[in-house]
Amino acid sequence: MEPSKIVLAGPGQSQGLLVTAVDADGNEADVTDRVEVTSSDEDVVEVDAIARRLTARRPGVADVRVHLGALYAEDSVEVREAASEMSVSFSPDIVSILTLKGCNGSSCHGSPVGQAGFKLSLFGYDVAADHRMIVAEGDGRRVDLVRPERSLLLRKPTFAIAHGGGRLMDSLSEEYESILTWLRQGASFDTRGVQLERLELYPAERVLAGTGTRQRLVAVGRLSDGSSRDMTREVRYFAENDAIAEVSSQGLLSASGPGLTTVMARAMGKVATSQVGVVERLAGPRFRTPEVRSFIDEAVYSKLRQMKVAPSGPSSDREFARRVYLDAIGLLPTPAEVRDFVGDPRPDKRSRLIDTLLERPEHASHWTVKFEDWFRNSQLHSQGRSMGVFKDWVRGWLAEDRPYDEFVRVLLTSTGDTILNPEANFWHPATDFMLKEFSVTKVTPTVSRLFLGVRMECAECHNHPLENFTQDDFYGLAAFFARLRVKHGYGEYRRTWYLEEEGELEHPVTKSEVAPKFLGGGTPAVSDAVDRRTVLADWITSPENPYFARATVNRIWHQYFGRGIVEPFDDLRSTNRPSNPQLLDGLAEFFTRSGFRLRPLHRLILNSRTYQLSSQTDRPGPLDHPLFARYMPRKLQAEVLLDAIGQVTASLHEFDGYPKGTLAKDIYVPDGPDHFLVTFGLPRRDILKDRVPVPTLGQALNLMNGEAVREKVEAESNVLGQLLGQGLSDEQVTARIYERAYARPPTRADLGRVAAFVASERAAGRDRRRAFENVLWAVLNSQEFQLNH
Amino acid sequence: MLHIRPPFPAVRKTRRDFLKVGGLAFSGINLARLLASERGSSERSCIVIFQHGGASQLDTFDPKPEAVADIRGSFKAIPTAIPGVRFSELLPRSARALDKFAVVRSMHSDEAIHERARQYVFSGTKPRNELLQPSYGSVLAKERGPKDGLPPYVAIPQSDLAFEAGFLGPTYDPFISGDPNTEDFSVKDLTLPGGMGLEEARSRAGLLRALDSEFKRVEQSPLIDSIDEFYQKAFDLISSPAAKRAFDIGSEPVKLRDAYGRTAVGQGALLARRLVEAGVRLATVFHGGYDTHVRNEPQNKQIVPEFDQAFTALLEDLEQRGMLSTTLVLVIGDFGRTPKINFSGGRDHWPAAFSVALAGAGIRGGIVVGTTDSKAAHPIERPVTIEDLGASVYRALGVDYRKNYHANGRPVAINKEGEPVSELWS
Repeated sequence: MEPSKIVLAGPGQSQGLLVTAVDADGNEADVTDRVEVTSSDEDVVEVDAIARRLTARRPGVADVRVHLGALYAEDSVEVREAASEMSVSFSPDIVSILTLKGCNGSSCHGSPVGQAGFKLSLFGYDVAADHRMIVAEGDGRRVDLVRPERSLLLRKPTFAIAHGGGRLMDSLSEEYESILTWLRQGASFDTRGVQLERLELYPAERVLAGTGTRQRLVAVGRLSDGSSRDMTREVRYFAENDAIAEVSSQGLLSASGPGLTTVMARAMGKVATSQVGVVERLAGPRFRTPEVRSFIDEAVYSKLRQMKVAPSGPSSDREFARRVYLDAIGLLPTPAEVRDFVGDPRPDKRSRLIDTLLERPEHASHWTVKFEDWFRNSQLHSQGRSMGVFKDWVRGWLAEDRPYDEFVRVLLTSTGDTILNPEANFWHPATDFMLKEFSVTKVTPTVSRLFLGVRMECAECHNHPLENFTQDDFYGLAAFFARLRVKHGYGEYRRTWYLEEEGELEHPVTKSEVAPKFLGGGTPAVSDAVDRRTVLADWITSPENPYFARATVNRIWHQYFGRGIVEPFDDLRSTNRPSNPQLLDGLAEFFTRSGFRLRPLHRLILNSRTYQLSSQTDRPGPLDHPLFARYMPRKLQAEVLLDAIGQVTASLHEFDGYPKGTLAKDIYVPDGPDHFLVTFGLPRRDILKDRVPVPTLGQALNLMNGEAVREKVEAESNVLGQLLGQGLSDEQVTARIYERAYARPPTRADLGRVAAFVASERAAGRDRRRAFENVLWAVLNSQEFQLNH
Repeated sequence: MLHIRPPFPAVRKTRRDFLKVGGLAFSGINLARLLASERGSSERSCIVIFQHGGASQLDTFDPKPEAVADIRGSFKAIPTAIPGVRFSELLPRSARALDKFAVVRSMHSDEAIHERARQYVFSGTKPRNELLQPSYGSVLAKERGPKDGLPPYVAIPQSDLAFEAGFLGPTYDPFISGDPNTEDFSVKDLTLPGGMGLEEARSRAGLLRALDSEFKRVEQSPLIDSIDEFYQKAFDLISSPAAKRAFDIGSEPVKLRDAYGRTAVGQGALLARRLVEAGVRLATVFHGGYDTHVRNEPQNKQIVPEFDQAFTALLEDLEQRGMLSTTLVLVIGDFGRTPKINFSGGRDHWPAAFSVALAGAGIRGGIVVGTTDSKAAHPIERPVTIEDLGASVYRALGVDYRKNYHANGRPVAINKEGEPVSELWS
């Protein structure tokens, strides 16, 4: 029975109930309409037997019990003396009406120049100015405190007089009533009276089986006087993804298609969420409890059990070997490596292999590319040598596994010449690459996304619509960088970063100096004697910082699973819930405890049964990926794919100006990147953008007809040149190709299929070499090769 | 009594819907109805000639013969088909053909950096820090999709970051053709290896299909389905006679190829016409060399006539084939150039005033919109923003430009603020 701890403010107040039944398999169902509700004292709390609604009759306490057959649940309900009067305040009440009606939107009065002389701040980021505009400016003509109903503020939107924005509300509407009340109370800016402190939404999590299944939502407000209030019909609902679940304005949820989504309820500047999973059918008794290796598996399985999704079985040794090589070092295992691993009888051989791989230099190289994407190491920003200098520096740091908090601190406090001080290349993306001027508005969202997992871009211009971050938070964070400057050298595009000894950031709206302020937190004292960036760096990397560890582990997890526990992986806000909170918390705690070292985290993830689950399933479902019920097949990263093609064909890609045998992940890309790499998603790194995990037409055409594959398949001394010259049979050649590309020998059926193909090629007049070139082409274009699975 | 009220009406409407309605309410136009009235607009396509670097307005469509020498430059102004309107002498053919197209002389922006300026002019929306707006071609590719196995959006001969799909994702990036003005032109990644016929290509594709279906017996994911789809499209493209023909510029009569000019822009424009004829929605033709910081005069003397020939040949060719009424031809560059010639004999970046040309797809020919001051430095009459240009392009192509996409967790309009330049139609 939800909500619990009902405290009705006074007689006449009422509260709806939500009753959930749980069966032996843990399946939950909304049974509110089927229960019988009784009150221990109908004089205190009266029950509406049909609506299942509780109404307060007089002060006191009553026990309320709900029955469903032999099952029951109960809770006590308190009724207080009198209903508290909640006064209407300018912010958030009036401002939220202006926001919901679109008045302060960018195409109306929220535009930079306002509309018809009436200007509001966009989405209400500057409520003081909005209040002034409404109450005082234009000689106070917008409000009439003597005859409030004659105020322009009411007559315009009701179209009592002409209004360019049309008729937006009815004089009988609740909004009209709220504005009128506010005017009657004196149209003051101050907030008085009882405030809404917290909003709750029930059920907090729910799995709905089958399209069309319905679920009622109950929204409860917790007020500053300690009472509760049924706000089910007083909140605005918002379904993040209508294709998964829709929600009516009355709070009735209905499943529209499979997936995992969040439903939000908003009122008075407060937000509450409910996580909704929709499946075609429940897994029910088919759920097996697989082996648990660490808290990762515990968290994943307990969530899977709750959401009724069955995990896949374990991966085979060969599947695992291919997968972990590609993920940990960005290379295919050689046939000999696979053979050794499969033949190893030791029970801990997977852990041993993981340890070996994490110590290999290619592990650092492979992950360096990911950090280059994140830090936008690009020739657009740092032409010439400094790009390579930065790459080498990052790789060195990763190879030694020095603590990540220290890494971030070094980056955030770096200055100096970018060739001599590689870490100072971190600031390049913070410059407009043609203007070459440092811009705090570019660095602030970057730092906040990278290290805090918070997207602040919205707050540069207006208050974040889905989060409690304001424009002041944005500029408070930006103020830490207020004294950073850059000088440009000539020739090699060298830059020197330095700090001014004084100077403050100016707020774009208030034009006053902005003091440095932590995100959602305090304002530290910063003296002119210290580099204020160290203060920020210490705060970001502090073990107490709620964002840093979570943002980092979620980012790393995303690389291994193709999906963050919070997704998008760099958008950690209260309205974007983790698909498995226990998992995210556990990983963050582990990372913090291991001194912010990344390698133990890699090791932990790779050793989990969750990572080692098979990608195969006989019951694919929409929750498989968000809940990590199996390893989802993923495209190989551009560099990895190119190196893998080189490995299979024994003909590594050659890059201009690099020695033979240089891997794609090790080139610096200084003079215009490779056509293949760009086609397969090497980002330009001019903006913060993730590699796109979806395939494209250009990629299909490139693998089919492009030079990269063609040259390697046709190279005289490639794998075919070697194998065909050894007097091997067709079956043996086929087996070698399969082992190189797929880390497995061909099945009988595979051999038959290839043999038939080779025969038909020969019949069509093509020689043995050409026939096998076509086999090699088909293998390199096959999904089993292109994907990590 | 309680004074708390629901802050939201009992009608379920997303914020996206709301903003859209709000925007329209103010524009005073029912956009959907307006666009629906453009007959056959969903079949319209577009050819963009891109003057890479930014053409000098003074040396093309907006000469100032009365200005002092270091502003007017050394080129004369010549009369056009419209009495009183003069173009640079480098555009004799365009001057005669002005009845077929419109010029807007009063374009202006504040983006003086190439990359940002191009993103602006190719999307009609000012570039933001972290969100790249899709280009016209990407929007058209998304809204209309491919036709007859051809890619919906093609960049000839090369792409530019401004042509890309931005937040729509690489699915809607342009397909890159390669240079049609070369002897052995063939489309990169589209042409089978030398010596391989379609029979062999089909044979090896057959093996690939067999390998994949074996894999799919045990592996399932939306990614796999989507790779299948793209491979199917790729096969269609490679084996489609229509696609092969569309790119086969060699099958055009020599006379026509010569008429367009044996230049990158000439052959590019001709290929663009072939592609649009075959079903491509938008093709860009890249014409380089306009960034004349030095040697403005000799450089323009070479490239502007190349453009003049290609542009007018394209208009005439489209008209003869009856395609001009359904094909929008758009001539744009990064920005304009400084009125005053610098000490290196060049003109530098100048976004405060520049010219664009539009033709076809219902655009009225023979008009000049806007006027600049005596130095072609600032618009003095009917200034037109890049947002307005964007709205005009989308109106001509019949795209509902106030429609919102969703990016970075927020609604983003295809074109939020522009109003079509009405003179182009009336």
